[in-house]
Amino acid sequence: MKRLAGPIACSIILALATHAGIVYFAPSFIMDRAYTMIGERGTPVHGFQLAPQMRPDTQSVVRPSPDLAYSGCRFDFGQAANGIRVKMAAYEGYSSLSFFDAQTNNFRTIRGNGEPQEITLTAKDAPSAKGIILIRRLAPTDADYARVIEAAQNDICEAL
Amino acid sequence: MKRALTYLAFAILGIGIGAYSALTMAGLLPGDRRTQGPIEINNWYGDFAMGSEDASPYFRARIARHGLLALANTEAVYFTRTVDDSGQPFTEDCMYQLSGGAMPARWWSVTLYNAQNFLPDNTDSALSFDASRADMQSDNGSGWSAVISPAKPADDTGWISSKASEAFDLTLRLYVPNDGVLEDPEGMIDAPSVKRLQCSGDAS
Repeated sequence: MKRLAGPIACSIILALATHAGIVYFAPSFIMDRAYTMIGERGTPVHGFQLAPQMRPDTQSVVRPSPDLAYSGCRFDFGQAANGIRVKMAAYEGYSSLSFFDAQTNNFRTIRGNGEPQEITLTAKDAPSAKGIILIRRLAPTDADYARVIEAAQNDICEAL
Repeated sequence: MKRALTYLAFAILGIGIGAYSALTMAGLLPGDRRTQGPIEINNWYGDFAMGSEDASPYFRARIARHGLLALANTEAVYFTRTVDDSGQPFTEDCMYQLSGGAMPARWWSVTLYNAQNFLPDNTDSALSFDASRADMQSDNGSGWSAVISPAKPADDTGWISSKASEAFDLTLRLYVPNDGVLEDPEGMIDAPSVKRLQCSGDAS
């Protein structure tokens, strides 16, 4: 038994390290995959793209709401040293502008309340260099989504 | 040589145990489901740390897997349930009645998801029931109901299609929760009930 003390200690240390590593790095790994995947689906860095109505054949992220219209923008301060300008155009109905860091935290959210909302974000305002900005607009019907298409044309996400 | 092989075997064992325990506890295994959470209201489970820096590492990993890009609790709170009022897991083979009253939020919805955390692959255009539909049933959505079933019911004013969902779950979203919800969710939220009506194979 004494001869196994070393291997057992090694096993325990590796188990703890592996466990902690997976739990710690899983969110950033999943977020990085999402960042890449939505880019492959056409969402640019520093530019909003309105996603199609959330349906079984259009969903790209887990648990989307079919009642909401999503516009996404990827940010990367490595390509925007002076920061980024983000504007959510006015929309009649619920709307929000939310910012997610590389660890999946929703570090800032601004509600629309029927008015346009604009913000300048710099690297020091964000917990990570890369992340995702999401506009949600309530659009349970096709007519609502048509209104979102109109409003989304005036959304802005750009490097300064 | 034998000693080295012993170390190698124990190292592999340790990595395996560490990986499996992490994937299990963080809800990252393929078969694992749901967001879980410490708040339980009528079989709906939620965790207000969702989307927040206050979330534990395990919960953060679970949300990344099952609810990526969820909003922080001041903007929206989320609850998930996997069983009906009798405690039986939801299944596409059964028909349910979802019912409730006014919700303490600016807007709310109930959406059905499959075991892979996605909308079920059907073309029924009946994936959720929300406050706007409840308002059409009664003033201010004070009393509403919807049928959850794989086939369209005769009265489809409230219908969530479970077609092609197999074992599903429901997510309740409350957007812009009223004052007091975050402090006393059990007292403020009259969470919807889900009564099982019948299942295929039941004696008629």
